[in-house]
Amino acid sequence: MIKVQFYSLIRILLKQEKLELSACENENVGQLLQRLQRQIATPFLHKLLDKKGEPILGTIIMVNRRNIHHLEKLETPVADSDVVALFPPGAGG
Amino acid sequence: MPSTERYNRQILHWGKERQQQVEAATVLIAGVGGLGATASQLLVRAGIGKLYLVDDGLVNWPDLNRQLLYNETDIGQTKLEVAKQRLQQINNNVKIELLQKHIDHSFQAPTDVSIIADCLDNYSSRFDLETGLAAGSFLIHGGIEGDQGQVLTLQKGKSQGLTEIFTGTRQPQGNIPVTGAGATIIAGFMANELFNTIFGQPQLLNRFLIVGLGDLHLTFLDV
Repeated sequence: MIKVQFYSLIRILLKQEKLELSACENENVGQLLQRLQRQIATPFLHKLLDKKGEPILGTIIMVNRRNIHHLEKLETPVADSDVVALFPPGAGG
Repeated sequence: MPSTERYNRQILHWGKERQQQVEAATVLIAGVGGLGATASQLLVRAGIGKLYLVDDGLVNWPDLNRQLLYNETDIGQTKLEVAKQRLQQINNNVKIELLQKHIDHSFQAPTDVSIIADCLDNYSSRFDLETGLAAGSFLIHGGIEGDQGQVLTLQKGKSQGLTEIFTGTRQPQGNIPVTGAGATIIAGFMANELFNTIFGQPQLLNRFLIVGLGDLHLTFLDV
């Protein structure tokens, strides 16, 4: 299973903290998030991606504790037992 | 006033040895705004040995809802000067050094400080702050926006960097929504973690504490 964890405003939008999905062969994190949205039937990808499907600046997407910007972005492969986190941090101080 | 009497409530909690650690500690507060004004006050009230304050701002009316060191008579004055005056009124035993500057790529932390609080309000300065720290330094990051906030401790050279973790985050356009209660709660968590770090037991090392102020939800995210 792949665990997807929701934080902050994403958690509030989806009304849940995490979800587990079975792993699919040769899937990347972008495809995983599309599949997740279809499964939960609550639109949330507009908070993460622009119309071209590129990440919108604002939410950190992590795979196994690493920001996907330092991996292969949305092409980052995900597999069984991986942990994906979606976290829009607070910017002020 | 002997410190055993002045600090007796907290000594009852954490003991004399830890009180001595607090009184021997030096901490740098970067940004003396919503988070920094409260975090610095809590450190000073606890009897911290030495505090560096870094900021380049003036007190403005919109600061007064949450920046607890300032009041109406301070409008237009240098935040650092006002902060030092108020903090010394609270506890004159604390050494307070002011660094009146904007944190940019030229920033270098003083060599006698290894515990730093990121109370800044923009990512660019946060990244420059981290760059200017010596290896091994502990950076306690705090952030707040609306009713969501977070605290995280990193050790430079051993943890992922702030820059690495926050790549892809955007600085919001315009003013960031924040309330006095929200900033004070996050600053309280930061101060608590600063004390934990002084005691050699940071609880949020490589671990975000993410605070939902609206529904009072606390959760963790390991990084």
